Amino acid sequence: MSCLKFVNDIALYAGGDLPAGRIGRIESHLAECPDCRALAEELRASRVLLGELRDEPLEDAMVAHVRQRVMAEVRAATRQPSRLYWKLALAATLALLAVLMRPRPHPAKKVLAHSVGAPRATAGSHAAQTVVPVARKSRHRYHRAPAAAQPGPPLLVQFVTDDPNIVIYWLVNPKTQGG
Amino acid sequence: MEPQGIALRMTAYPRENSGELAAFERIMSQCERRVLRVALRLLSNPQDAQDAAQEVFLRLYKHLAHLDQTRGYEPWLYRVTVNVCRDTARVRRRSVALEDVPDLVAPQPDAYHDAARAQQREIIRRGLSCLGEKERAALVLRDVEGLSTREVAGILDSSENTVRSQICSARLKLRDFTGRLLRRRS
Repeated sequence: MSCLKFVNDIALYAGGDLPAGRIGRIESHLAECPDCRALAEELRASRVLLGELRDEPLEDAMVAHVRQRVMAEVRAATRQPSRLYWKLALAATLALLAVLMRPRPHPAKKVLAHSVGAPRATAGSHAAQTVVPVARKSRHRYHRAPAAAQPGPPLLVQFVTDDPNIVIYWLVNPKTQGG
Repeated sequence: MEPQGIALRMTAYPRENSGELAAFERIMSQCERRVLRVALRLLSNPQDAQDAAQEVFLRLYKHLAHLDQTRGYEPWLYRVTVNVCRDTARVRRRSVALEDVPDLVAPQPDAYHDAARAQQREIIRRGLSCLGEKERAALVLRDVEGLSTREVAGILDSSENTVRSQICSARLKLRDFTGRLLRRRS
């Protein structure tokens, strides 16, 4: 049947999807072929019905049900911090602990440090000096010790959460050197 | 003495008590019927359609901050709806054969249209559910939602020629389905 080659174009033509260059050929054929005209009419009619599906009212209960479920899930998700949140909190805590628990100078250094600028009076202190192999390094540290002995400014760790009403402050009182 | 400070921002996503939730609710109220309608046409099952619509809006909430508002939410929503419905359909694997379609002897009352028209729409609805997923998606977006071929191609991540081919095939199959159904009834 010679009309078969027009069928696809008629289906596009009925929906206004046929490229402009092919419209003339189809319209000429439709003008002389009643079967294809009928096909085009059927396709147009079913397209109109499809368009009416768009205007069909949806049940309000169905819409409300979806909305209710979505909002419940959204609210539950916002109340419960994500796994990323807890991972970050754990990482921050570990980093803080690592800073606070870092190794302190050995107590022997203090013995040596006390000897700086002071008379080496006792044999005991002298003995301590000979024992410590990091004497030079420790001495330099201890030169700053009097200032460091003063309590430094407290370290404020602030955990800012997404809730502006919740801010976690962690006030860390730094210890003096060797203390 | 001023304390030295370290501020650690911990992001719990998504955020509440911000404008995001209000914006989300506004968008949802504007688009919920459209999303549900498309899901219903693509899945042909009210329960599956509700599940799919819920998933679409949860994805919207998750990605809301990253969406380009200047382009509008509709293309994104259509695309996600089609994808979610495709996934849902693959899981459920429901297909309707012509033999499964019950006879529509008694016209279904419709508050807004006459009974005959409602019955024709019911036939079309059932015909839609017999199409393949790609053809159905193209036809629903083009002929039910009234989007242009270019818009449909953008949503389906396809070319305009492919979309034309799909809607052409879908229209002919739908016409064949309705013809067969009407012949069977007569």
